Amino acid sequence: MAISDPKAAAASAEVPARRRLRLARSHDERVFAGLAGGIGTTLGIGPIWVRAAFVTLTAAGGTGLVLYLLGWAATLGATTTEVAAPAEPRRKLGLGLMLAGVMLALRATGIWFGDAVSASVVLVAFGTAAVWDRSGPALATAGRPASMPTRARIAVGLFLMVGGVVAFFGSVDALADITPVVVAVAATAGGTLLVFGPWLWRMTDDLTMERRERIRTQERAEISAHLHDSVLQTLALIQRSDDPRRMVTLARGQERELRTWLYGRADGREPDGLRSALESVAARTEQLHDVPVEIVVVGDVPTTDAIRAVVQAAAEAAGNAARHSGASKVSIFAEVGPDGVDVFVTDQGKGFVVADVAEDRRGVRESIVARMVRHAGEATVTSSPGEGTEVHLHLPREPR
Amino acid sequence: MTGIFLVDDHELFLTGVKTELGPHFDVLGSAGDVDAAIDSIRSLRPDVVLVDVHMPGGGGLAILANVAETNPEVRFLALSVSDSPEDVIAMIRAGARGYVTKSISPAELVDAVKRVAAGDAVFSPRLAGFVLDAFGRSVPVPQDPELDLLTPREQEVLRQIARGYAYKQVARRLSISVKTVETHVSSVLRKLQLSSRHELARWATDRRIV
Repeated sequence: MAISDPKAAAASAEVPARRRLRLARSHDERVFAGLAGGIGTTLGIGPIWVRAAFVTLTAAGGTGLVLYLLGWAATLGATTTEVAAPAEPRRKLGLGLMLAGVMLALRATGIWFGDAVSASVVLVAFGTAAVWDRSGPALATAGRPASMPTRARIAVGLFLMVGGVVAFFGSVDALADITPVVVAVAATAGGTLLVFGPWLWRMTDDLTMERRERIRTQERAEISAHLHDSVLQTLALIQRSDDPRRMVTLARGQERELRTWLYGRADGREPDGLRSALESVAARTEQLHDVPVEIVVVGDVPTTDAIRAVVQAAAEAAGNAARHSGASKVSIFAEVGPDGVDVFVTDQGKGFVVADVAEDRRGVRESIVARMVRHAGEATVTSSPGEGTEVHLHLPREPR
Repeated sequence: MTGIFLVDDHELFLTGVKTELGPHFDVLGSAGDVDAAIDSIRSLRPDVVLVDVHMPGGGGLAILANVAETNPEVRFLALSVSDSPEDVIAMIRAGARGYVTKSISPAELVDAVKRVAAGDAVFSPRLAGFVLDAFGRSVPVPQDPELDLLTPREQEVLRQIARGYAYKQVARRLSISVKTVETHVSSVLRKLQLSSRHELARWATDRRIV
């Protein structure tokens, strides 16, 4: 049932391109040679299901054993340390259908021990797999006990296993002879469940509690490590500094970082879009020049070359404002509107006569105006002495 | 003289604000927790209450809700270290006339309190940004387009505020009077408080604001 099977190729055609189809033995998921683990990893299925398939095929005229040996020989020296990605139900279904096809073919050709044997082995193998599958939802995830699907999965698995055993014994001899045995087995199983059931249940809950506690401890450790590395260090720096401006910058930088850390993750914003790019521009400018930079962003777009140019131009403008204007703060306002992206970098410092300075200032001409023009945008600098400066960057929406 | 009342559970911050505002206003008192604040505000009847957002016992929202029932004439200015959209929008929707962060300069804070005392709204650049974001790219909602849409002029005023300009500068840049700027901002505040806008709700949900 290996990868060379055309059906397997079809079933794995939807595997994302990043996972190359390569047969290798798994280093970590190993019972014998790690072959099932390797195949599971390649297909994105829990290895337990592949093992169940091998066992089932072995019951079908020993085919599984032969295939395993072939696979073992084919993978001499090929070992992978990758671990199976979380399984998709669709893939498991694909494996199941593939297996059913192969089984039917084998049955038709006569390589077959018998219907009863195969049927019970299928039931037992996949029942076991269902119980032991670790690739599905974890037995107990943080904060809540084992989920209902998990419990249901285990119940179904146990049912299949018992069903398989019963079916096997039921088929071996006349049904009459075996009935007492079945009853005995069922009674024993039921009794065991009654005795150990509550204990098992409690153990699951204990495990959940322990897990939760461990996660909490880890989180606490992470938080204190972070606070130590950032906040406490900054506070120490502030105590040693006697320059009020420097103190303000340190405090603001720390505040910004802490905010990002506290609220950043839950914010649902584009991770590397215009907003976060401008925010880091603001942070850098503030650190470099000891001038607070206020930033307001309305809307967001993913970063493209043109957006990067806007961000760089804004960085240049903010740097200029912080260096030359003498203003007590710089404001950046960006808006993603229907007709494009607009960024305003504003200061209320001493300002300058645009016509006088623009000629010999490479910063404004090259880094701001020319850069915007290259990306079909424009930059407007408005300033007059005593009035402050505003740099307006406009990037029209890309035609679709 | 305008009577003000301060609510904050950080003693140090409270002292600092009292010192800054003392020369400009009549500081009637202060409280460090929600219950004491509600009682004192009811008996002292200040014009403006500066209220912290996060406090044990329900925080600023609880105070706003309780006082608004008995003393609707008391105006609130939210003053917080948090500038997350959740907190800002929740406080404004609960009836605060403005929202400023604690990093505001003393002069700006005095200005903001005066403005709130006069019945106007105080929008920080951040708040202006949030509102533009929530109401901005707008498709009118059939039920109440009046409430659910910002006029082009209101949007323009908010953009100027978001760009860091003070009301006075906004007025000059748009060639209107400061009073007109205040009218626009107050009307935006009213829309923000009353609007049941579908999009505001969705915007809030996106950012996990309940």
